[in-house]
Amino acid sequence: MPLSPQVRAALVRIVSDRWVRAASAQLETFARDALPTARSIPGIVVLPGTRDEVIRIIRLLAHHEVPFVARGAGTGLSGGALANNDAVLIALTRLNRILEVDPQNRLAVVEPGVVNARLSEAVAEFGLLYAPDPSSQTACTLGGNVAENAGGPHCLKYGVTSNHVLELEVVLPDGSVVTLGSRSGEPWGPDLVGLFVGSEGMFGIATRITVRLLPTPPSIRTLLADFDDLTTAGRAVSAIIASGIVPAALEMMDQVCIEVVEASIYAAGYPIDAAAVLLVELDGATDDQVAAEGAAIEVLLMRHGARSVRAASDAAERARLWQGRKKAFGALGRMSPDLVVQDAVVPRSALPEVLDSIRAIASHHGLRVGNVFHAGDGNLHPNIGFDRENPDEFERVEQASAAIMQVCIAAGGTITGEHGVGVDKRRYMTDVFDADTLDGMARLRQAFDVAGIANPGKVIPTHACREWTQGAGRHV
Amino acid sequence: MTAQLAGLAPCTHCGFCLQSCPTFLVTGDEADGPRGRIELMREFTAGRIPADANGLRYHLDRCLGCRACETACPSGVEYGSALEEVRATLNADSLPITSRIVNYVMQDGGMQRVTFAGARVARAVARHLAGPSSLGFAWGMLDATHATTNKHAAHTTASVQEPRVRVALFTGCIMSGLFSHVHEATARVLRANGVQLMAVPGQRCCGALHAHSGQHADAVTLARANVAAFAQIPEDVYVVANSAGCGALLKEYPRLLSGDPVEEDAMALAERTCDVSEILVELGPTVGGPIPLRMAYDPPCHLQHAQRVTDPPLRILESIPELELVPHADAHLCCGSAGSYSLVEPELSRSILDRKVSTLAAANVDVITTGNPGCIMQIGAGLRAVGDDTPVVHPVELLDRSYAAAGYYGSQRSSTP
Ligand SMILES: Cc1cc2nc3c(=O)[nH]c(=O)nc-3n(C[C@H](O)[C@H](O)[C@H](O)COP(=O)(O)OP(=O)(O)OC[C@H]3O[C@@H](n4cnc5c(N)ncnc54)[C@H](O)[C@@H]3O)c2cc1C
Ligand code: SF4
Ligand code: SF4
Repeated sequence: MPLSPQVRAALVRIVSDRWVRAASAQLETFARDALPTARSIPGIVVLPGTRDEVIRIIRLLAHHEVPFVARGAGTGLSGGALANNDAVLIALTRLNRILEVDPQNRLAVVEPGVVNARLSEAVAEFGLLYAPDPSSQTACTLGGNVAENAGGPHCLKYGVTSNHVLELEVVLPDGSVVTLGSRSGEPWGPDLVGLFVGSEGMFGIATRITVRLLPTPPSIRTLLADFDDLTTAGRAVSAIIASGIVPAALEMMDQVCIEVVEASIYAAGYPIDAAAVLLVELDGATDDQVAAEGAAIEVLLMRHGARSVRAASDAAERARLWQGRKKAFGALGRMSPDLVVQDAVVPRSALPEVLDSIRAIASHHGLRVGNVFHAGDGNLHPNIGFDRENPDEFERVEQASAAIMQVCIAAGGTITGEHGVGVDKRRYMTDVFDADTLDGMARLRQAFDVAGIANPGKVIPTHACREWTQGAGRHV
Repeated sequence: MTAQLAGLAPCTHCGFCLQSCPTFLVTGDEADGPRGRIELMREFTAGRIPADANGLRYHLDRCLGCRACETACPSGVEYGSALEEVRATLNADSLPITSRIVNYVMQDGGMQRVTFAGARVARAVARHLAGPSSLGFAWGMLDATHATTNKHAAHTTASVQEPRVRVALFTGCIMSGLFSHVHEATARVLRANGVQLMAVPGQRCCGALHAHSGQHADAVTLARANVAAFAQIPEDVYVVANSAGCGALLKEYPRLLSGDPVEEDAMALAERTCDVSEILVELGPTVGGPIPLRMAYDPPCHLQHAQRVTDPPLRILESIPELELVPHADAHLCCGSAGSYSLVEPELSRSILDRKVSTLAAANVDVITTGNPGCIMQIGAGLRAVGDDTPVVHPVELLDRSYAAAGYYGSQRSSTP
């Protein structure tokens, strides 16, 4: 049902004309996030400037039972921030104030639209950082990170978003405003912050986020190892993990990625004739400790088939090596007009075999794939290139994606590591969860959102839990 | 699909460009950011949204064309040329009246002379009329074109014995109309570095304003005239631009004139065009006397993003003894000038400028420098609007002052110190 003129007018009254987008071309620009295979034109877009406006918006929508979808920077890779034409898209980019930095207690309070990297920049002067560093950190928002429980290269050692959120102010889908957790962590009872983190916009909108900050490690060493083939690189990863040393980050890139990064303005100096490179970062309290671990890893890498290993000589080179890794997905745009990145987790011991299978699937479907991923977590990101104007190719991409998912599941893995389920992975949910579990999820969702208006149609496949669909009435 | 529009194809929607886009930073609106505009251009050219779609023109017009998104983009999306192409299709006969007047004046030699002569007369009183209102802002822009550095006009015609290189200065429209003092400083500084200057008659406005606003035919006419003018001089003569906007377009003439009978000459011109900072770095540059000031350098978009010239201006400023370079936040962001943008989109332009002015004010400097006339005027007017009279000058003006301090322009006739 399209939005009523009454609701539209009330939205204008809350945020003023200036911050409502309803023209056809404007809506077009909000029809996608970073997932290229799905698009949906929202009914209307509002850009509230304060938390109070968010609260008034949700109360209005709850009253009229109008669905809504929160949007941060739209860098999500599972279509989580897409809204249908009966829904209001609430863009939170203007809520971008850092409200408080408390260096003594090592925490910061931010609005949800603050861009991840801006927080680390702002606290650097206190020798602190915000640890979760998704590759998209120069673009994505902390609200989006909370909703997706975002990870990043350095989460191997420091943990993902949920390990760093202390307190959340949330506007629930009925318009009530609750505080989950506390500044000193979860004081008692169930971990409600943990429950909200990763809820993909289905449990309401986070309007205030209190995060833990960590001291910048005094000593850091970054190694770059290159390999003649991908399988050997995969084995080297397993060897590092088995050694007991926990690197701060352990990332892998294959030849396709190396090539495009080196062609971009983020060229990092990766050897372009290598079949794969590993980026290993070690950090710690003293130079001695880090040097010792670095030497041990170097030996290990050489013994497991690395062609060469070199260490970044200074902070500038380290930054360059990381920029290349973090912009790799973007750089893959050079490979083809469109790009879909898959996200799956496999046991690290299965990496070499799974990588082989992915290569076989891609060549079977006549597609080009580039792998860049968090190897230390076994979190794979095969990037498949295609052209959206070519329907046949698009179909092959969808088939290959599904085949890759099946391989990962069969290897004992699961369907998402950090990009969430959104709309893209709904179809795989029944492959990893049984009906009772899905039903439990649906009932949990209902506990937060009785009317079923917060990010409807995402995550939980409706056909799998008929009971809930009938109960809540509203669904895509 | 044209080559220009194919330049958008690599966009993966990753969003890495968002935080470098000045308009997105003001509104947070996807349609005011590069990714949204690319989406609009792609959908428009694929015929999925019509030319008169509500909001299409509006958001594309609000783009500064600063091309910061290109520098941030890992995929190598060629945003600027696609925008020009789409604007040419959309705007051909419905350009805002202010743009049309500005473009007309720049294109017509007679109009240009009369306008700039009038402006120079009015400039005498501009300081008193500058202020925060939109009219006061326009006066502030005019006031910012005042020469603030010393004048040494006496030696501008001196010839250089044993020149190291020969150079022809691209004179441009506004640069010769309102910034002749920068041209004079450029000439003196180049001579002091052993450069012989050649006059090239027949030059016209570079056509950048026309190209950026989608007046393709006018831009081509002007480009052809300039290509022809410079084709007259020997091949080993460099063409030097001291306006980032002009330099950027001269370097892009081959694209503008692709398929044109003069395409090859356009390539030759582009090949030998360089920014004044580039040639100075190539030459050394000669070290002058001390300027004990705190200075902020704000890189023009058409230098850092369009030409990807980032280091040379810093190198020449660093060569000045005792001049302290004070960093300021978000230097990579546009000041909101962008050709005639400040006149056409005053509100957004002013929000962008406010951010620039406050970061520059926080740096607390004695002088601000930037190598583009529009930026000098925009930042100058922005400062005057808040009652701040910190001078805004071109980097060569500082070098010129440093050379004067060293006595290079003293009584002796030889310009090579
Ligand atoms: C190049 C690239 C690299 C990436 N690398 C990584 C990576 O290393 N690790 C990783 O985990 N992810 C990565 N991602 C995915 C993406 O950046 C993350 O999922 C990120 O957290 C999304 O943030 P966003 O602000 O863009 O959110 P959006 O895409 O706008 O929204 C994502 C979801 O969050 C919800 N949401 C947004 N704000 C709120 C709020 N305040 N309250 C409640 N719900 C909200 C939305 O409804 C939506 O469901 C990458 C993406 C790209 C394009
Ligand atoms: S223009 Fe470049 S940086 Fe911006 S979204 Fe597209 S690919 Fe990413
Ligand atoms: S050219 Fe400048 S204003 Fe236009 S989209 Fe790119 S960054 Fe934004």
